[in-house]
Amino acid sequence: MNMHTQPQRTPAETALIDAFGDRLSLLPGDGAVMLKRDDAIEAIKHGLPTRRVESWHYTDLRRLLSVVPDFDPAAMAKAIAPIVEGSAVLPVLNGKSDAKVPAIEGVAVQCLSEKLIDGSIAPGLDPYGSDDAIGALNTAFVADGYFVDIADGAELEKPIELQNVQAGGQTHVRLAVRVGAGAKAVIVERQAGDGAALVSSVSQLVLGEGAEVTWLIVQEQPDTATHLAQFKAHIGKNAKLTLFVMNAGGKLVRQEVMVKTTGEGADFKLRGINLLAGDTHSDVTMVLDHAVPHTTSTEVIRNVVTGKARGVFQGRINVHQYAQKTNAKMACNTLLLSDDGEFSTKPELEIFADDVVCGHGATVTEIDHDHLFYLMARGVDEKSARGLLVKAFVAEVIEELDDETIVEALEARLDEWFVTHG
Amino acid sequence: MPAVQDTIDRVRKIDVDQYKYGFQTEIAVDKAPKGLSEDIIRFISAKKDEPSWMLEWRLEAYRRWLTLEEPTWARVHYPKIDFQDIYYYAAPKSTPGPSSLSDVDPELLKVYEKLGIPLREQEILAGVQKTDASELEEPSDNVYKSGRVAVDAVFDSVSVVTTFKKELAQAGVIFCSISEAIREHPELVQKYLGSVVPTSDNFYATLNSAVFTDGSFVFVPKGVRCPMELSTYFRMNEKNTGQFERTLIIAEEGAYVSYLEGCTAPQRDENQLHAAVVELVALDDAEIKYSTVQNWYPGDAEGKGGIYNFVTKRGDCRGDRSKISWTQVETGSAITWKYPSCILRGDDSSGEFYSIAVSNGYQQVDSGTKMIHLGKNTSSRIISKGIAAGFSQNTYRGQVSAHRKATNARNFTNCDSLLIGDQCGAHTVPYMEAKNSTAQFEHEATTSKISEDQKFYVMQRGIPEEEAIALIVNGFVKDVIQQLPMEFAVEAQKLIGISLEGSVG
Repeated sequence: MNMHTQPQRTPAETALIDAFGDRLSLLPGDGAVMLKRDDAIEAIKHGLPTRRVESWHYTDLRRLLSVVPDFDPAAMAKAIAPIVEGSAVLPVLNGKSDAKVPAIEGVAVQCLSEKLIDGSIAPGLDPYGSDDAIGALNTAFVADGYFVDIADGAELEKPIELQNVQAGGQTHVRLAVRVGAGAKAVIVERQAGDGAALVSSVSQLVLGEGAEVTWLIVQEQPDTATHLAQFKAHIGKNAKLTLFVMNAGGKLVRQEVMVKTTGEGADFKLRGINLLAGDTHSDVTMVLDHAVPHTTSTEVIRNVVTGKARGVFQGRINVHQYAQKTNAKMACNTLLLSDDGEFSTKPELEIFADDVVCGHGATVTEIDHDHLFYLMARGVDEKSARGLLVKAFVAEVIEELDDETIVEALEARLDEWFVTHG
Repeated sequence: MPAVQDTIDRVRKIDVDQYKYGFQTEIAVDKAPKGLSEDIIRFISAKKDEPSWMLEWRLEAYRRWLTLEEPTWARVHYPKIDFQDIYYYAAPKSTPGPSSLSDVDPELLKVYEKLGIPLREQEILAGVQKTDASELEEPSDNVYKSGRVAVDAVFDSVSVVTTFKKELAQAGVIFCSISEAIREHPELVQKYLGSVVPTSDNFYATLNSAVFTDGSFVFVPKGVRCPMELSTYFRMNEKNTGQFERTLIIAEEGAYVSYLEGCTAPQRDENQLHAAVVELVALDDAEIKYSTVQNWYPGDAEGKGGIYNFVTKRGDCRGDRSKISWTQVETGSAITWKYPSCILRGDDSSGEFYSIAVSNGYQQVDSGTKMIHLGKNTSSRIISKGIAAGFSQNTYRGQVSAHRKATNARNFTNCDSLLIGDQCGAHTVPYMEAKNSTAQFEHEATTSKISEDQKFYVMQRGIPEEEAIALIVNGFVKDVIQQLPMEFAVEAQKLIGISLEGSVG
């Protein structure tokens, strides 16, 4: 799967390449980092991926990314209230992180620009393949973010909220988190703003032995923003990662989830809800590598499509040859509520080990008429009945999270979406 | 792991010895020079005595083909094919259009006898009826007797014989080689050829359009239920030849036909290319059932040789309430690249796809289907069972899509994979695309190995391990076997047994 060489550059491609030339002197990084940036922009010069690139089959980035806004140094974004009260907030405002964040016990926080300048982050900047356009875009332009190191055995009482707030222009952010052995944490990745920005955000997470992390991605960009995000994680021995993704905004959204189990006994849970309205194009793409024996994973994705929205879910489970006794299950359910909307899904299994149990299921349908009838027979009007059913469909996934405060916070976000999108 | 070594040894043994169709026959052949050019296409067209529109059609496809690139998206790997190193035309010399079986080279008949296809017996049977004039006049009950199968035998590039033609003609069914149809029924061919798989469809289909040499043609007129199973046996014999056959089946309003194809090829070290195109057209209320038992030579234990099976098969449910059903048992070929599809254009039309793909040795299978829902109230069903053993890679790749106007489209997909041994791979790549809110799509897939409990249960009853596995596998594929016509169901079951023999670790 190589990116095809394009005969002519689109305005967006030209704008990105020109912007790189203009910004080069302002981008932080030592020699190694700058070399990675050069490689990354070379990849973009070969053209953004089209639908001919298999992993971008349903999201033709070259066609969809029509406009790239200029960098806007005057844009001022403000930190927002965290979704869980009392969280330690680490804000990145219009691509710039705050050097004076409050101290959190057991956690060392550094601005990512420092890690770029000393070059210690360079090895993590490589895109994972020739079709990794988000990785390349971010590596070329990333200027700041955070590096968070949670000490071995630390058990955080309050969530850490990593906020990436934009007010227009372009922001390219990287959030790197290392969780020490036996540590426990809840991390919220908040993606929001109010401008017609181009956002690229890459999160990297490494879980040490026995660590337990719940990571929530709450994406509520305005319907003018382009949001290209990537979440990469390595799950160590007996470590547990629960990833919750709530996608509820943006004009063009691609959220990639790249997870690898690297130690026996690792467990991964993905729960996702995609709420699509207007004429958004929203793509969630997951690649899960079961690389060692005795690891487990379950993924449940629920989608609601209204208006003229186009939704995509691609989920691939790779079971490597020696990853015997893998147990992996994936489900993707979609409620398609509008004739103008569409949803495409591609759940893949790639299995090279024989002693495994893997399965996936996918459905696309509208609201069950029997359920609707049941409610309406009890005097609930059709609109409210539909609302109830749709909400129940997605809320089910949220309720699976154990932590009550988080469930409540997410349900509040959900309610807000239903209020604005009827 | 000693068990694995044992498996490898056994697989190696069977892959060389068990392909019982690997013989080669010395038959004088008429060949076109190697390579591909407009001249070769003119040569093929002239050999077939084709009208000028057909030649033009071929040349147009060839010019189109020159602009296309080989597809690379499938999960199959092979060295680049040199399309100039292939003979595009090879015909058994002694048979310039045989009128009866007695004109057919006895060597050729022997081949088919070896393959277990009793052309002669059937011809004799048909011959007996031919002599009886009274029976010819009116379509007697005999004609509608079931259990007989009309056969079209295709040897390398040409169709050598078609049986039961007369009886079928009585019922109004046309069953002949496509070359004959081009000469005898040009109006039908012109109307339907390329209407399902256009010349510009894909790399291999376009190549086929340019150079196809033979294949079967079936036309079932309005209201006729084809009185017997129709079948074609494909045999590749010549070295370095490609086989490019083209099959066209048309079922008019309310017609029904069941068609089956089987294929074999000799054992050779080099790879041979097979790029066929099959087009099905079902008009209002018509039903076509198409079954395949594909057993091309799969290559030896080291993965050397074998057939590249790059096939485009597509059915068009053009009429309302029409139905097309594909059933395939894939055990052969070094590489399979094949996606029998249904275009559900008519309202209330339905498509079905039942598949068993067994891969062993170094075989690579990338197969599946496409169900394209265009009409209202259309439904489709996909049952795919993949069994991977040895060092093989077995991929299901399927697409289900509902277009904007496809109200109440309904699909159910089930693809299960079974892995035998830890050196093989099983992959599932379904694409689901819904553009209509009333569409209802369900997809489920599982991958696992044979459960130890099941195996224990069967073995405990005194059945040896290998038979136990064959039994469980046959249970696993039962849903699909049930869809095959009787004669083939038995053959398919045996074939699966043979393909998997020795794969127990």
